[in-house]
Amino acid sequence: MLLRRAAKGDEEAFALLYRHHQAALYRFALRMSGNSWAAEEIVQDAFMTLMRDPKKYDPSRGTLGAFLYGITRNRVLKHLERSPQREVPLEEKNENGAGSGIVLLDATTPAIQAEKRERIEQVWAAVLDLPAEFREAVVLCELEERSYEEAAGMIGCPIGTIRSRLHRGRALLMARLEILRDAPRRSTVPSQASVAK
Amino acid sequence: MTCNEFEEIGLDGGRDASVSDAQRTAAAAHAASCPRCAALRNSWQATRLELRALAQATVAQNAPPRVEMRLRQKFRTQYHTPKARRSAFVAAWGLAVAAALVGVVSWVKWNNRQQQPNHVAVKANTPASNQSSSDQNAAGDPSLVADNESGDFTLLPGVLPAETDGSAILNVRMQRGALGALGLPVNEDRASEWIQVDLLVGNDGLPQAVRMPE
Repeated sequence: MLLRRAAKGDEEAFALLYRHHQAALYRFALRMSGNSWAAEEIVQDAFMTLMRDPKKYDPSRGTLGAFLYGITRNRVLKHLERSPQREVPLEEKNENGAGSGIVLLDATTPAIQAEKRERIEQVWAAVLDLPAEFREAVVLCELEERSYEEAAGMIGCPIGTIRSRLHRGRALLMARLEILRDAPRRSTVPSQASVAK
Repeated sequence: MTCNEFEEIGLDGGRDASVSDAQRTAAAAHAASCPRCAALRNSWQATRLELRALAQATVAQNAPPRVEMRLRQKFRTQYHTPKARRSAFVAAWGLAVAAALVGVVSWVKWNNRQQQPNHVAVKANTPASNQSSSDQNAAGDPSLVADNESGDFTLLPGVLPAETDGSAILNVRMQRGALGALGLPVNEDRASEWIQVDLLVGNDGLPQAVRMPE
């Protein structure tokens, strides 16, 4: 309904559509790219595509959110192809100059806040180090807490593919974070077989 | 359950709908008996906590307001500019058509005005009749005709102003005294004087008005 109105030139309808969908798309783009400028451009691009040709959206093929997510995802993957080097979000300032995209809601003291921020940045950096397809699975299932089925539907692949990507993504992530934690690596944990011996 | 199977399905956090309760129970049992998988599960739980912290730290993120502003700007450019252009185009065509109509109407009117006297005019080709007659219908030598102006005729006494369509202008030569028969005052001293007169003759053949060119 809103899209139909927007397609006829109703700016407010378009603005409502934008406000309804922008946050999820922006968060996905930000978590995938680690770059707020890129995320901003990607979201803008997705809505520009919708604005230019609203007929591209076919309601029989899914929701508008899924359609916009598909565009955003393509843009993110293109962006990652163009700039394969991990982009560190930590140095970026947001619009208000308040720092990176990380907002600590429950930090008590500045020291704790700094420590938490550092840890979160490390986790984010580890996520951004994952290959794009594993990263996408981790972002959708672990950060956005979507079900495997939803994630598979959004990416357009079988659930088994999601499971496999998550499995490998988790392994890479844990390995990286354990190094940072100074915790014993998985490989150092004796397997059942070796214990049996 | 093997360690590989555990790694596949034991860490899903309940989000994999295809994993059955029995499989989950088996995975939990496997982790309880396998130190490697138990360590893996603990490590993943710690990682998951950190991922949740990251998710929470970024959950409030929204695209900056400038994105909406830029999109609105582009929306206006896309939808309103062509609309305005279309309106201007339509208005321009409307004006052009109106101007053309005004032109056509003016021309038609002008043409009508041009044609009206011609229509009124008749070329009288009846032979000259008696010039001294007081009969106004046989009023002299009808060499012509009418010029284009029928506006300076003087209505004859007792004639009401009426449509001139279908009327004819006859140019006749008559003696001044004959004007008396038309109800006009005549100077008796010059009654025998020959004059040129234009008569506006109505549909009924009776003169309606008179004009003296000289």
